[in-house]
This record gives sequence, C-alpha cells and structure tokens, in this order.
Amino acid sequence: METYAKNYNIERQDIANAGTIASLTKRELKRRGLTREFVKKVTIGIYEAEINVVIHSYGGDANLNVTDDFIEITFTDRGPGIESIDEAMTAGFSTASPLAIENGFGAGMGLPNIKAVSDEMLLTSSKEGTKLYLKFYISSDNYES
Amino acid sequence: MKVKNLLESKHFQLISDDSGIENEVNGIFSCDLLSHVLGFANEHNILITVLNNINVLGVASLLDLSCVIFSHNIQVNEAIIIKTNELNIPLIRTNLSTSETVITLHKMGVKN
Repeated sequence: METYAKNYNIERQDIANAGTIASLTKRELKRRGLTREFVKKVTIGIYEAEINVVIHSYGGDANLNVTDDFIEITFTDRGPGIESIDEAMTAGFSTASPLAIENGFGAGMGLPNIKAVSDEMLLTSSKEGTKLYLKFYISSDNYES
Repeated sequence: MKVKNLLESKHFQLISDDSGIENEVNGIFSCDLLSHVLGFANEHNILITVLNNINVLGVASLLDLSCVIFSHNIQVNEAIIIKTNELNIPLIRTNLSTSETVITLHKMGVKN
C-alpha cells in the first residue's frame, strides 16, 4: 500500500482537540486492515504523546509515516523541556498543571505507557524543546487474515 | 449483553441519543485518570467515571468502549453530548456512587 505521510500542528493547552492525531491514525490503520489489538497499541502511544505536547509544552507538531512494514511518528515541541527524563519515565511521577489534572490527565503514566506499547522510543529534551520519536514494527501477523 | 439491556435498570438514564445502544458489553472499568483507562481498559468495557470532559470520549472512542456511565449524578455538558452522538458511544447518568454502580452492574450480569 502507498505510504501515508502527515504533518500535524499541536496547539498548547488545546485540550478539546487533544487526541485528534490518534483518532485519524486509528482510522488509517483500520483502513489498511491491521488488527484491533495492533491498532489499539499504536493509538495509545500516539494519544499519550499528543497529550504530553498539549499539556506540558508551548506547542509543537507531529510528523507521521505509515508504511506496510512500520509506523513512525516524531513529536517536536518548542519547550520548556523535561527537567529529568529519568523521573519523567517513572510510573506515577507527574509535573502536570492543575488544568491538566482537572481534565483527567497527569497520572504520571504517559511516558511509561508509551514505552510499553512502542518498539522503539527515543526521547531527547532541552529547554528549547523536546523530541520524541516512536516506531512500531508491522509484521504479517498484525494484518487481519 | 448490550448497552440497551443496562437501560432496563431504573438507576441508569441515557443522556445521549440512542446511537450505540446496540454496542456489546463485556466488562466494567472504573477510573478518573485517562492514562490508566488507556493502559488498562479493554474493548467493549463500560467506563464508569466522574470526569466530565470531552477527552473521556476521545479515550472511549480509541479503545472502542461500549458506553460511559457518569456516577454521582454528574451533570454532563452539552458539547460532550453532541460529540458522543457522532461517535456512537452512549452516555448514561446515574445517581448511584461509583461503587454502587459497579455492584449494580455486577448484579445485572456484567461479570468482568
């Protein structure tokens, strides 16, 4: 199938639209005949990453590529950066704002959930911004028979 | 069991339109933290929550949950109800507490 390539803008604090990228990706993966289980795994990772950019950053974007063999997505934001990646990767550790918590986020499970579902995860961060690269491999078993 | 069977209980009031009431129900998940819902809820679960915001629908839609029950008689805003009708995720309100809702659902035959 043809490669599906998209670039999405993510606005800071835009909680009402958070999840749009995950939702559009889910639709595309289902269209390509991938299994429910596989689609769930990928969309959880994308949703969590998207929420992180919305609730923690000054805004950014996401670059998505879907091929027959893999899905890769890179989230890039404009800061303020993650102070300690080790702490951020710890389940339950959270620096979420009251607004995020009021909206059901900020459990400190975002990055641990992303790590659990993705095959490759690269996270780099400085005050100028954070970059998160995720890759999910697709095998023939991931397609509906 | 289907969502429409839950509506036979006097405790459960459908507050969205009837799209999605034929959705299958296979278990209960109760939580107010969306990352936990994402990490642990399963397809066709009922989500019980007091979280009144639109992201509940995003998560319910991603996971193909069967419906959302708002416990403690939570008042759900109109924007959520309009959005849910597009997504075929029925919204139910109950004056029961979260734990009473779980017990009631269990007695009705929702076992997991």
